[in-house]
Amino acid sequence: MNLTDGEFLLLASVMDIIVPPVDELPGAGEMGLAKEAEELAARIPEYGESLHRILEALSLEPSVRVEGGFAALDEEQRMAAIEILEANMSKYFDKFVDLIYIVYYSDERVHERIGWRSGPLQPLGWELPAWDPAILDKVSKREPFWRRV
Amino acid sequence: MTITHPSTDILILGSGASGAAVACRLSKSGFNVVCLEQGRWIKPEEFPNEHADWEIQARTNWAFDPNVRALDVDYPLNVDESPIDPLMFNAVGGSTIHWTAHTPRFHPSDFRVKTLDGVADDWPLSYDELEPYYDAYDALMGCSGINGDPANPPRKERPMPPIPIGQDGERMARAFDRLGWHWWPSDSYVNSVPYRGRQACNNCGNTGLGCSRGAKGQTDVAIWPEAIANGVELRTESRVFRVETDAEGKATGASYYDADGEENFQPANAVVLAMNGIGSPRIMLNSTSGAYPNGLCNSSGLLGKNLMFHPYAMVSGLFDDGLQTYKGPLANMILCQEFYETDPSKDFVRGYTYQVARSSGPVSTACGYMFGRVPWGADHHAEFNRRFGDVTVMGVIGEDLPEEHNRIELDPKLTDSNGIPSPKVFYTLSDNSRRQLDDAVENAKTALKEAGAAHVLATRLLKGAGWHLMGTARMGADPNTSVVDRWGQTHDADNIFVVDGSVFVTCAAVNPTPTIGALALRTADYIDRERADLKS
Ligand SMILES: Cc1cc2nc3c(=O)[nH]c(=O)nc-3n(C[C@H](O)[C@H](O)[C@H](O)COP(=O)(O)OP(=O)(O)OC[C@H]3O[C@@H](n4cnc5c(N)ncnc54)[C@H](O)[C@@H]3O)c2cc1C
Repeated sequence: MNLTDGEFLLLASVMDIIVPPVDELPGAGEMGLAKEAEELAARIPEYGESLHRILEALSLEPSVRVEGGFAALDEEQRMAAIEILEANMSKYFDKFVDLIYIVYYSDERVHERIGWRSGPLQPLGWELPAWDPAILDKVSKREPFWRRV
Repeated sequence: MTITHPSTDILILGSGASGAAVACRLSKSGFNVVCLEQGRWIKPEEFPNEHADWEIQARTNWAFDPNVRALDVDYPLNVDESPIDPLMFNAVGGSTIHWTAHTPRFHPSDFRVKTLDGVADDWPLSYDELEPYYDAYDALMGCSGINGDPANPPRKERPMPPIPIGQDGERMARAFDRLGWHWWPSDSYVNSVPYRGRQACNNCGNTGLGCSRGAKGQTDVAIWPEAIANGVELRTESRVFRVETDAEGKATGASYYDADGEENFQPANAVVLAMNGIGSPRIMLNSTSGAYPNGLCNSSGLLGKNLMFHPYAMVSGLFDDGLQTYKGPLANMILCQEFYETDPSKDFVRGYTYQVARSSGPVSTACGYMFGRVPWGADHHAEFNRRFGDVTVMGVIGEDLPEEHNRIELDPKLTDSNGIPSPKVFYTLSDNSRRQLDDAVENAKTALKEAGAAHVLATRLLKGAGWHLMGTARMGADPNTSVVDRWGQTHDADNIFVVDGSVFVTCAAVNPTPTIGALALRTADYIDRERADLKS
C-alpha cells in the first residue's frame, strides 16, 4: 500500500492523537512511525483495508473539509472527527488502532520507557521463583472428589 | 502425469500430535511407514521468539488463525457461519508448533456422559483402558506435573516435576484455597528439567509461537527424530487431496500434490488419517468415489458433523502489585476443576475447567488480547501502565456437547492454493454451553476478586478460540451412528483409520491433546497386535 504525501501526513497527525506524547517521547506520528504503519498495512490486507478506509473517511468527514484539512483543526476538533469514525466504522477503526499500537509498542524507544526488555524473548527468558510444594498444603488434604463411574 | 511411488504398509496423513505418535509406535514394530505432510520443517531460528518483532509476527505470518496467516501452506476456512474461528498450524509438528501444551486428562466420567447425565453418548471405551496410553504419550512428549490431585484419579508419576507456578500462580492458588475451591498445578508438556535431549523451559512466555529451545512438547522435536531414526519416511510439502479406494471401498493409497504442484500417488496397505478435526473430514468429504458417493467411509452420514470446539470465555483480573505477569509460560500455571461435573442445582449439564493464564508483551497489552484494548487518546498511557504486566486470566474450557448441525462441509467456491475445496464451518453455540459459560464467568469474577483484582473484565465468548477441533468422525459401536469403531478403524473399510480429534464422542472440559495422543497410540497398538496382514 502506497500512501500519497497527503495521506501520509494525515496518518501521522492522527497517530499523534491516538497515542499522544508522554514523558520525553513525542506522539506516535511525530516519532516517525507512520512509515512502519504503512509498511505493515502493505503486508497484511486487513490492516491495509482499514488504513485505507479510515484515511478516506476522515478526509471526507465534513468537519475536516476546511482549508488546511485535519492539520488545521484544534485538538478538540481532531478528537471529535476521530470519534465519529470510531462510532460509525468500528470494525475498520479497531484494526486501524491495532495497527498503530503494533508499530508503537514494537519500538525500542517505547520499550525503554515502559521498562520492557527489547529484542527476542530467547535466549534470555525470564527467572521465576522455584517450585515450592508447600503451596499444596491445603488443597492436597482434600478428599478425592472425582466422580466414580 | 501422475508420479507413482513404491507401496508402503502404513500411510499416515498429517504429522501433528496424532500422526507422529502413530508413526513412532508402528516404526518400532517392523511396519514400513510413510507420512505425508503438507507443511515443511521449521528451523529453530525461524520461530518468532528468536526475533525482536515476535509480537508483530504473532499477528501476521505466525498468527494462530490460518485465515490471518494466509500462507500458501494454509488452507483458508469459510467461517461466515461460525462465531468461533478454528485455529491450527500446518508444518511438521502440526498444531503442536503453536499449542501452549496445557495437558490435563479426561476424567473417567467423561467417557460415560450418557449413563451418568443422560446426554450425548458414552464412549465405546473407558478411562481405564486409555490410561496406559496416556502414560505412554506423556512419556513421549514429556509431561511436567505432580501427583496427588484430588479432582483426578491417582496416576503414575509424571516424567518431570511441575514447572514453577510463579507469584501470580501462588496468588490465585491462595484465593482458591480461601474459597475452598479445588486447584492444582497444571500438567504441561513443557520441560521443567532437561528431558530426552531437550532443554528445560526458561519461562520466556510465548509458548504459543513455537519453542526454539525444544522445551515444549512439539512433535517435530519430541517424536519425529525417533520415528525417522526408526525408518519412517516423512515426506513434506505433500498436500493430500484424496484417499483412493478400490471397488469394495478399501483404501489403495492417497493422491497428493508435491511442492511443484505435480500430482503424486502413494500406494499403501492401510491409510491413517491424522490431519486434525477439520483437515481429516475435509479430505474424506473430498474423497468421493463409486464406493463412497457421499465421502470416504460416510455410510452413517455423520462425516463432518458433530463438530465440537471448547467454547471459550475469558475473565481477566487487573491487579496493582506489579508482578510482571508476562514472565512464565503463557497458559501453564494452575487449573481449577471445582465445577467440572454436573451440578443438579444449576441450569446446565456437565461443567468446566478454569485454566489460569498469564499476560503477554506490550503489543498484546495495548491491543487488548488479555484485558480489552487500551483506550486511545489522552488516557492512553496511564491505562497502558495500569495493565501492563498486571493481568491474570481465567480461561473457561466448557464441555461442548455434540450436535449434528455443528459441522463442516466443503465450500462450493473457496479453495487452497492447489485448488482443493476448503471447509465451511457451521457452528451455533448451544443454550447449554451458553449457560455453562455464564456460570463460569460469574464464578471466575468471584475468584479474581478474592485474589485481589482491582477490576475484572469478562469476554463471554472468545472468537479466536477454536484451538480444539473434535467430533467430526465420531467413534462408536454402531455403524449407523458413528464413523469409526473403538479402535479408530472406519466401519466401512478395515484398512482406513482416523486418529485425530475427529473421533471424539464428547469433548470433556479439558484441552484434548493428551487424549488425542493416547487414542492414536492405542490405535497404533491395535494395528501392531491385530493387523499383521497390513505388513508386506
Ligand atoms: C494456538 C493453539 C493452542 C493450543 N493449545 C493447546 C493446549 O494447551 N493443550 C491442548 O491439549 N491442545 C492445545 N491445542 C490443540 C492442539 O494443538 C491440537 O489438539 C493437536 O495438535 C491436534 O493434533 P492432530 O494430530 O489432530 O492435528 P494437528 O496437530 O493439527 O496436525 C495436523 C497436520 O496435518 C497436516 N495436514 C492437514 N491437511 C493436510 C493435507 N491435505 N495433506 C497433508 N497434510 C495435511 C497439517 O499440516 C498438520 O501438520 C492448541 C492449538 C492451537 C492452534
